[in-house]
Parts: sequence; structure tokens; C-alpha cells
Amino acid sequence: MFISKLKQVLICLKAGRVTLPYPYEPSPPPEGFRGKLKVDIDKCIGCAGCANVCPSGAIEVTDFDKGWRRIQFHLTRCISCGRCEEVCPEEAVKLTDEFELSTNTKEDLAVTIEVYMDTCQRCARCFKPEHPLDKMMITGFRE
Amino acid sequence: MFSILEKCFKKSIWVYHTNASACNGCDIEIINALTPFYDAERFGIKLVGSPRHADALLVTGAVSRQVCPRLKTLYESVPDPKVVFAIGSCATGGGIWFDSYNMVGGVDKVIPVNFYIPGCPPRPEAILFGVAVALGLVDKKVAAEYLKEKGFPELIKQEQQTTVNE
Amino acid sequence: MLTTREIIETLKTKFNKQILKAEEKVSDQVFVRVVPDALIPVICFLNKTLSPRFLINSATDMVRQDGKYIVSYIFSFDSEKIFLCIQVAVDAAEPGIDSITPIIAGANWSERETRDLLGINLRNHPDPRRLVLADDWPEGVYPLRKDFPYDYKPPSEPQNKVPLKKPPEGTKVIPIGPFYPVLEEPAYFKLFVDGETIVDCDYRGFYSHRGIEKIAESKLTYNQICFIAERICGICGFIHSTCYCEAVERAAGIEVPLRARYIRTIMLELERIHSHLLWLGIAAHIIGFDTLLMQSWRIREPVMWLCEKISGNRKTYGMNLIGGVRRDIPSGIHDEIIRVIEKIERETKEVIDAVVGDTSLHLRLKDVGILTEEVARSICTVGPTVRGSGIGIDSRVDHPYAAYELIDFEVAVETGCDIWARTLVRLKETIEAIKIVKQCLLEMPDGPIMGEVMEEIPSGREAICCVEAPRGEAIHYVQTGEDNRPYRWKVRAPTYANLQCVPYIIKGERIADVPIIVGSLDPCYSCTERMAIVDVKTGAEKVYTKEEIIKG
Repeated sequence: MFISKLKQVLICLKAGRVTLPYPYEPSPPPEGFRGKLKVDIDKCIGCAGCANVCPSGAIEVTDFDKGWRRIQFHLTRCISCGRCEEVCPEEAVKLTDEFELSTNTKEDLAVTIEVYMDTCQRCARCFKPEHPLDKMMITGFRE
Repeated sequence: MFSILEKCFKKSIWVYHTNASACNGCDIEIINALTPFYDAERFGIKLVGSPRHADALLVTGAVSRQVCPRLKTLYESVPDPKVVFAIGSCATGGGIWFDSYNMVGGVDKVIPVNFYIPGCPPRPEAILFGVAVALGLVDKKVAAEYLKEKGFPELIKQEQQTTVNE
Repeated sequence: MLTTREIIETLKTKFNKQILKAEEKVSDQVFVRVVPDALIPVICFLNKTLSPRFLINSATDMVRQDGKYIVSYIFSFDSEKIFLCIQVAVDAAEPGIDSITPIIAGANWSERETRDLLGINLRNHPDPRRLVLADDWPEGVYPLRKDFPYDYKPPSEPQNKVPLKKPPEGTKVIPIGPFYPVLEEPAYFKLFVDGETIVDCDYRGFYSHRGIEKIAESKLTYNQICFIAERICGICGFIHSTCYCEAVERAAGIEVPLRARYIRTIMLELERIHSHLLWLGIAAHIIGFDTLLMQSWRIREPVMWLCEKISGNRKTYGMNLIGGVRRDIPSGIHDEIIRVIEKIERETKEVIDAVVGDTSLHLRLKDVGILTEEVARSICTVGPTVRGSGIGIDSRVDHPYAAYELIDFEVAVETGCDIWARTLVRLKETIEAIKIVKQCLLEMPDGPIMGEVMEEIPSGREAICCVEAPRGEAIHYVQTGEDNRPYRWKVRAPTYANLQCVPYIIKGERIADVPIIVGSLDPCYSCTERMAIVDVKTGAEKVYTKEEIIKG
């Protein structure tokens, strides 16, 4: 038994000190880490495909005010699975490598975006129109 | 709240860990925070075996119907002043099963929660960061984001104006 | 060696008109429909002649389709690699069925679960108490019936608390749980002791019932369920996700590309390595040997970092989808995987060497918690628990899935029947897992990682899949439904079968040994309790309110 105890002590001594210096130094996660999500409002077309695939129903879509669509990402329920990122046709939703999300109020854990949707004259479906400034860059600054 | 913490808990917090119907992922990460690589014990944080000895309660998992009364009894048995941490997405908001027939919801539906540490499961570094925020050693890094498309007419005034950040 | 055709022929010859339908719906899976009166004769006949191993009992609500509940009993022929499912249609007006627990003791819990969740009454069951639902759940409300909405919360009725066994003459009661320092999850054991020796015990579990099966049947699509399956358990999540995906792929006839199968195998074995090292640490902590806890978790940590690099998260890999995997393991990372697991192999062998001769561990772990082969077979235990008692059942060999039929490996079996034997089995499996990962990396072919999945998976198909989790065998049964969603999904985790043997293995042991005996089964209550399970007696373990002390 003493030999076993000696071997155990040797294992501990050989390992030495392995503690990481976190939180005094940052400990960045590897590439491809699925952390907090981030939305680029310029790319989002309001299709709500992300809301359809979210397993925990953390994405809420409400239409209000004749053409405005509000998409709320409840990060309290988000499980960072990455399906919204996979499914988004415009690559507007991305999962960053932020993992330090501790807070004392739940209101901090929410991302809300509001996009304006127009209605197609022919088929009555909603779509996101181009920004008027971008349109004028193409057509020129004329009436 | 922060001032009480700074006064009372400057030295070391003894925590009692409890699992209210979680999947064990967050519990394993909490125990991981005590192992050699992350070593929460260098801050004086220690896991105790009785809620009577504890300063802080670490709760993981969404609360089920069966656990609900027991969790309340447990909360009452921890002496004041106390801090409650809700660890993981299930404890914060109920997780994937927030509206199931046997679940009550997130932990804050049953007992008052002081700090939330979301993630599924949160990394041990995130848990250490959460405790550091609670102790006032670092500032929290997350805030609500509200983005609105500009350049389109606002037909009717908005009812809610959430604070704009970023 | 029996074939599926021979099994069908044998049953048809013996029971003739009482067999309504017998077909091989999926390759090597036979589904037999019998009349209700023939259930007990068929089960007795199977038990005596063909001797398959009982796996699980499940029930489906088909009232809208044909006014009946279908109760299925799933068996396994291990050496022939065949599943047999006996199905009985029970009338919806008066649902009642003869219990098979007097013949097969391992069916105890699953029949009680069927009664709790679907309301099918059991005749001749030795212990028909409530098992799964909460103490204050009203009688007559059955959550898994299709007319029960998944988010309806019925009012509380505290008088339905489950009565626990009364203590025998001359014994005292020691409650353990539901919140206990060494048990990770809430569970309540009521021990009846005479001095220091345990005479009997009762168990009230199922605090972690989250209603997963009901949510999956009500509001989720096939791909979303992969993620919820992963969160059934935080330690063996990838196993449940793979098992579910394989069951759907078998039912729908989807072909998974070979590279995806190898990737699944690699992630499954990495999960096995981390789970066994985790168990070693927790078991050491239970007996007070904290050095081993710290060292084995230190050895285990690089596996978590590796999985984070491959899949994006330390634990919930999220790599499975129906038809394949969604992230590849590029060849650039192969060298790192091999480097990490070789280091773990060296360090694990050092730890095994240092621990095997330690007589202080022998005193605590040898000849404690004996599970004889006879009890193990009658309760139908699985996993390292039963491999430590000389029975070599392993789903990777008996019912191959992913890429296991193409890989050479050994199954670890010991004959000690005590906790020490189970420890050795788990340590050997860790070393084998490292060899399997190395083999997979060498043999993995190039190619696509996602197969062809049809737009809408056809409804009315059934399939069973069985996967070897670190704790034992996990079984998933899927029945596909309309609208591209499943109609029924039944999960049986390994701890479900193993916990039923606790009363047998703690009889005659000392109180102080109870945590390590229960810990040697490697219980994972959240896997077991994905259904609702109610725990026995109340129990904030520390505070005894006046009422609780008076109630005793």
C-alpha cells in the first residue's frame, strides 16, 4: 500500500501547478466557439427563418404598426446551438465567442431588432425594401 | 445589493450547490471550477455540505413541480445575508422546457435570484467571472441591445422606448 | 443462430390465430401484434424457450386513429442482433392490461410509468404505486394522452402523495436526499436500518421529470429534437442525440454517409473517455479520496478543450442532425486529437498503476455492493454494472450502430460482482476507447458528411435504436407522424434499469457504504427521469420542519 501511496504522490508532483491565470488574464475560447449571438440589422430581411428553427423558442417575432416587424432574441433561453446561424439566408445572425454573460438583471439578456417590411403589390407577401439612400445611388439623384 | 456584498463577502464565500432538475451539465462545470485548472478555492470559495453553513446558493436547472416546495424550504434554511446564483440557461429562463406541464419555470419564479450566469452549459471561466462580478471585482460586460432600422417613416409613435445601448 | 423469419415462424406455429400481424418493418427488427389475452402466454413462452432480454415497455395513444392504446414490449436477442417488439391493442374505453412483472421483474418501473402517464391499468402488478408524476398531480389526468396539451398545468392536489413502505419491526428510518452533498441530483432514498446494517430500502425519484417526450411530440420538428435529446443528460448527451437520429434514419430509410458515421463514433468515444474519468473522480470523492478526484479531473480536462475545438462547445456538441453531422473533423486537427488522447492514455495508465495496489481502496471497494449474476439477469441491468458481474452485454457489439461494425475492439468483462470489478471495467473501457478513436482517425474515408434527407419523412413508420452509453444501454423508440414531426418518442436511459437493483445490493450493507454503492452504478438521474418521476417522501434533507418530524 505504501508503494501505491508513493506513486500517487509522484503523480501529483509531476503534474505540478496547472492553474490557468484566469481571471487575471483573458482566456479566449477557440475558433468556432458558439457563444452569444449578434445580429447585423443591415443584412436582416425579416424572414423569421431563425424563429422557425430555434429549439427553445427563444426568438419572438411580432408585427406592429403597419409594416414594422420586431424580432426579439431572448438570450435567457438561448442554448447557443447555432441553428439560427445555419439557417439564415443572409448571414445576418452570427454566434460570437463572447461567453462572459453574467448579470444581475434579466433585461440585459435581450437583443431586439426592428425592421420595416413592405408589402408586394402583386402577391401581398412582406419583404424588406431597399434603403432609400441605396436606391438613389443606383437610380441617381432625380425625381 | 452590491454594497452589502462588498462589505460582507470581501474575503471568501462558502457555497452550497443544489440541482433543481437539471441535466447535470452545469453541475459538472461547477465542480470543474474547483478542479486544478480553474481552482476557485484560491479565492476562498468552498463547497459546503449543509445550507446552514453557506453564504451563497448555486442553483442549476429549471424548477420542476416536485422540487418547487423543497427548493423554497432550502432557500429559507440558508441564513441571511445570502446570495443566490442561477447558473445555466435552464435556471435563468427555463431553458427548452420552460412551458412543459411538469415545470414551473426558471429559478426566479420560486426564489429571488441575485445573479444570472447563462450558457448551456456555461464555461467554468464564465462561472468564475460571474462570481467575480458578484463580488465587485470586475464590471459586467453584457447589456440589452436594441437596434432599429433608420430612414423609414414612423407611422405611429412607439409605446415602449427601451434604453439604447451599443 | 436464429433469424427473424425463424422467430416469426415459431411464434405463428405456436400461437396461430392469436398473432394478428408479424412483420420485419426495419432490417433485424420484428414487430408482432397479438390479441390482449395472448400476452401472458406469449411472454411465458418467450421466457422459457427463446429467452430474449427484456428492454422496455412503451405505450402510444392511437385513440384518434383507431380507438386503441398500443402497448409495446421490446426485447433483444443479443447474439443474433435482433429486436423483437410485441404489441397489444388496448381498448380506449376501459384501458387495462395484465402485468408481466410477475414473470420479468425488470418490467416493474416501466409498467408503472405507463400507468402514470397514459392511464392504462395494471392487473396483478406487485407494486402499483405512482412512480413518475409529482406528489401533487391530480388523479385521472394523464399527460401523454394526445388530448392533454403539453403546457397545461393542472391544479395541485397534495393528498396524492405516494405512500412509502413502512419500516419493518425493530428498524429505524434514515432518509437520504433529495438534496444531499454527494448525490448530484435530487433523489430520495429511505433506508430501514437495524443498528448500522440496512434491512430494506425504498426510493422516490423522478424529481427531474421535465416532460421531454411530450414537448417533442407536441411542438418540435425532427431536427429540433436532436438538440433537446442532447440535453436529456449533460454527461452522455451525444449518445441520446445519436440514438434518436439513428432511430429516425432507420425508420425513414435515410442513408448516412460513411464519414459521418465515423465522426459520430469518434465523438461518442471521446464522450466515453470523459465520462469514465469523471466517474472515477466522483467515486473517489464519495469515499473521501480527494486527491484522485483532482488528478482524474485534471487528466480529463484536455478532452473537454478538444471537444470545444471540434464542436464549438465543451459539452453539448450539437453536431448531430437527421441524416448526418453538421461539422466536419478536418485532417488538420487529427494530429492534435492523437496527441491529446495519447497523453491521456499515458496518464490514465499511471493512475491505474498507482491505484490498483492500494489496499485502503480495496478495503472500501472489494466485497461491497455485490450484484450476483442471477439478480442482474432478472432485473435486466445493463452496462458496466452488469459487465462487472460476468455478463458481457454491449450494444456496440450486439446491435451495431454508427461505424462500430467496422472497428476491432474488446469488451471489458470482470467476474468480481463488487464495486472493485465495476471500477476495473470502466478503467479498461477508457483505454479501449482511446484505441477506437485512433482506429477511426486512420480509417475515416473522405466524402460528404450529410446524407440525402427527403422533404417530408413518411408517417406511420417505427424503429428502435440502442446505443451504449458510458452507463449502459440507452434505447430510443420512434414512431413517425404527420406533418414532418414524430408521433411518439420513447427514451429509456441506462440508469432506469440499474436503479431498480439498489434494494438488492444494499441489503446487509452498512449505512456509510450506501453512497458509494449507489455511486458505483454511476447513476444519472436526469437521464432516468426525463419523464416525470416523483420522488418519495418529501425531503429537504437538512431542515426538518415540525410537520416532517411528526410525520416521521
